[in-house]
Amino acid sequence: MFESLFEFFFKYRPIAFDEGAIAFRPTLATYLAALAVVAVGVVTYRTYREVRANSRPVDRLVLTGIRLTILALLVLCLFRPVLVLSQVVAQQNFLGVVIDDSRSMEIADRDGETRADFVTQQFGGEESPLLTALADRFALRLFGFSSSTDRIESVDELVFDGTQTHLGQALARAHQELDGVPLSGLVVISDGADNAEEPLADALLPLEAAGVPVFTVGLGREEYSRDIQLSRVDTPRSVLKGAALVVDVVVTQNGYRGETVSLQVEDEGRIVADQDVTLPDDGEPTTVRVRFTAADAGPRLFSFRVTPRPDEMVTQNNERNVLILVEDTREKILYFEGEPRWELKFVGRAVADDQNLQLAMLQRTAENKFMRIGVEDAEDLVGGFPRTREELFQYRAIILGSIEANFFTPDQLRMIADFVSERGGSLLMLGGQRAYAEGGYAGTPVADVLPVVLGEPTGEDDAGFFLETDVRPTRAGATHPATQIADTEEASGARWLELPPITLVNEIRDVKPGATTLLTSGDESLIVLAFQRYGAGKALAFPVQDSWIWQMHADIPVDDQTHETLWRRLLRWLVDGVPDQVVADLPKDRVELDESLALRAEVDDANYEEINNSQVSAWITDPDEELIEVPMDWTADRDGEYVASFAPRKEGLYEVRMEATSDGDLLGSDTAYIRVAPSDSEYYDSTLRTPLLERVAEETGGRFYTTDTVDSLVDDIQTVGGGVTVIEERDLWDMPIFLLLFLLLMLGEWGYRRSRGLA
Amino acid sequence: MRPRFFVRVGVIVTTIAGVSLGGLWAAERIARASIAGPGVANLAAQAQPIFRRADVRPSIKNPSANAREFFFTRAIYNGGRRWGSWATDFPKADRQFLTILDRLVDMDAYELENAVQLDDPNIRRFPFLYALEVGNMYMTESEVKGLREYLLAGGFLMIDDFWGQWEWDNFEAEIKRVLPEYPIIEVPLDHPIFNTVYNIEEIVQVPNIGNAQRGGPTWERDGRVPYVRGVFDENGRLMVIINWNTDIGDAWEWAENPYYPLRYSTYAIEITVNIIVYAMSH
Repeated sequence: MFESLFEFFFKYRPIAFDEGAIAFRPTLATYLAALAVVAVGVVTYRTYREVRANSRPVDRLVLTGIRLTILALLVLCLFRPVLVLSQVVAQQNFLGVVIDDSRSMEIADRDGETRADFVTQQFGGEESPLLTALADRFALRLFGFSSSTDRIESVDELVFDGTQTHLGQALARAHQELDGVPLSGLVVISDGADNAEEPLADALLPLEAAGVPVFTVGLGREEYSRDIQLSRVDTPRSVLKGAALVVDVVVTQNGYRGETVSLQVEDEGRIVADQDVTLPDDGEPTTVRVRFTAADAGPRLFSFRVTPRPDEMVTQNNERNVLILVEDTREKILYFEGEPRWELKFVGRAVADDQNLQLAMLQRTAENKFMRIGVEDAEDLVGGFPRTREELFQYRAIILGSIEANFFTPDQLRMIADFVSERGGSLLMLGGQRAYAEGGYAGTPVADVLPVVLGEPTGEDDAGFFLETDVRPTRAGATHPATQIADTEEASGARWLELPPITLVNEIRDVKPGATTLLTSGDESLIVLAFQRYGAGKALAFPVQDSWIWQMHADIPVDDQTHETLWRRLLRWLVDGVPDQVVADLPKDRVELDESLALRAEVDDANYEEINNSQVSAWITDPDEELIEVPMDWTADRDGEYVASFAPRKEGLYEVRMEATSDGDLLGSDTAYIRVAPSDSEYYDSTLRTPLLERVAEETGGRFYTTDTVDSLVDDIQTVGGGVTVIEERDLWDMPIFLLLFLLLMLGEWGYRRSRGLA
Repeated sequence: MRPRFFVRVGVIVTTIAGVSLGGLWAAERIARASIAGPGVANLAAQAQPIFRRADVRPSIKNPSANAREFFFTRAIYNGGRRWGSWATDFPKADRQFLTILDRLVDMDAYELENAVQLDDPNIRRFPFLYALEVGNMYMTESEVKGLREYLLAGGFLMIDDFWGQWEWDNFEAEIKRVLPEYPIIEVPLDHPIFNTVYNIEEIVQVPNIGNAQRGGPTWERDGRVPYVRGVFDENGRLMVIINWNTDIGDAWEWAENPYYPLRYSTYAIEITVNIIVYAMSH
């Protein structure tokens, strides 16, 4: 609208004024004429000075001004202003046309037509308008691009089934192909749904430097009228078998506000969760928390899905698939009690049936007398609490019960702290007369690790702290996986409030900065469960001395599972994410065929110190059970980090086992899985991304067009484009705006006179 | 013989019998009152929401029931001889054992006795329970229900001091009312309960104080061989340990008596310590 109005008044489009320079081309006649005009001006001025009549000074000022302006305009026109433009010479230049060949082009969001239809209409045949117009003036070179870019002879070669859109790569490729020929610019026809990992700026800089403008034509709509999308699913990459997962799913929608849909989770065909979701406002993301159990071991493909609505514009973005490794291992936890306590008995019973937790319990019965329960090997813990790092670090978590700090040597206290910070293990301290400040932990390395601030220790004759209290979850505790004691968030929150009171003998009121409180006393004044990350691991404080009351109290039915559920979830969360000596790391859970897969391993020795001179190999089993060995090398950038890359040649599931040896001894191994399959990323956030295409045009000196404004593309390229050009001068004196101004000024003068009653 | 003689004898016999029965009745009343006292007081203190301990740490002279880990809890059940079999050796045996326990094991144990009825809901707060003289136990329905739920929730029961086949048959019938689905099984000597703290290699028949001091037979009635039997849960953990044909409680009660044989008191204390530590860890 603005452009056509501008063109009407100024004769040329704004782009011509942007690109061109204004100059004057006067002749001798011009000067003579100008002189005459000045003379007329002088006469005018004098006439107005002398004629007084009944006019006021201000009237004379206004009328003189108008008359002089008219004369000045006339002089301007007499000097013959011109627009100096460099114009691309027809048929002497090349133009690269880069067309999106990805799946998202098949989305029918142009009043029932697909984005690809535009390409077919404008470039499909001999008579196609845009193709004809461009071909009249340029030598065209066509490219189709998705995850790769190819030269094409005609758009008939495009199939629109590319699984990714790598725009930067396409621009670089087209630029490279047309290097050395006179190039007017590149035209990109795309929806802008770029999903390449490399930054776009890398591709734009060379174009900018070479002065190649990129003209972008955006296809599709910026917002769908009716669509539901699972924008993100956050899951852990691996979990312990039987783990109760709490997964955040981000749902975005347009056109279905307030409607309730069902979000389902499938574990390889079996529905494991079905949750109702009330859809948020248009365009607003909402996070849905879904709970399900990973019941079967192995690499499992979980599908998160909202059943498509019949009138949805894009149905492929209603589902996301995530590969989760469900591990069937037994995680070793060391529980040390300084005295016989019921807590040990009931914690042991609560997790006894959990095949994935091995709770080795060590209980001091008298001085230097220990009882071992649940140890795997006859030699385990035979000398009491571990004295070497190697012995201690084989556990994934340590639980300290009522055991005074003095029991440990300074080295053992340091070891416990290092267990968390360096080995990446977890520490849980329970409440008791010999725990926390009461156990003399203040000032020890263990106190640094704990997430809570220790109170003042009680003296030998002091009245100790004692409080019988209910427990309530905090906001964080209401949703945290460790404190879910029922099937739903609401049920879990309600159950916490029903539980009978427990007792606290450690007065802990504050957590450290950065720690999270999950449970508090009924009046919220005391900390009942808190955790923090510390170094590579995490530490928890649970200063309750008798959680067994939640099992034994008369109000708890005999078959109630609350106490068992709490301890299983708490201990499973405790060991979750605790690393082994070798950690296999794959950056993604899916790659495409022939896409390079980066392999990364972190290797530690038995003391969990990074080791750089070990021999690391990735043993890759492809979908046909063929074993491939890929040696991995130390990066030299980071201690203990080894990398390699691998390009899968078959679609399906690959097992990658990374194994490290040092001097012939196996340090450890870790297995990860990766899926080789076409990406479905094209369907997510697949609306037209105008800002991206505008940025490409702006940074390279080109222009952005929609399907409605594309008509001026050809002219613009001629004005803006590079290559072989000629200088062209275009007259400006006959711009309609000048005529309009003359008429307006004269009309103004006449009107003024009339209104003032002048002659 | 003159009839007056018979009258006099009759009066004397009646008087003696009357006084004896009256005395027994009074003794039972007094025992019950003194027994019920501490137990009830403890529970009341437990229920208080906030309690500050006394200025000095608890001891036998300054006992405190608050925030204590272990209570030596004696089961009050229905049945037995007129004066109540459950209270045999009570409370001296309990207190004396607790004094010894404090010396042997690093454990936060309440210093005094703690007797609770089987159908009292508060029994669930004390996961260790001691019951004796069960040969004459006749539990009420509510006691059966209370004990069953106690054991299934995770409580532990130690049985002591009953002798001979007749008493066994009675106890077996009673425990079958509580746990009909669980069999009673012999506890072998290699079971962990014989090794938790002390290594026990032989099951000793502990006689009552009279027999022990006299050096007479160690058995009573027809119970010549001592047995340790148990009721196990589905996971192989002991729920009930049954000491039959033995009187462990008497050994605690008289352990300080210089004439009481050391062999019996040593065994009695060692096996009880083992049982308690097992109960608190399995």
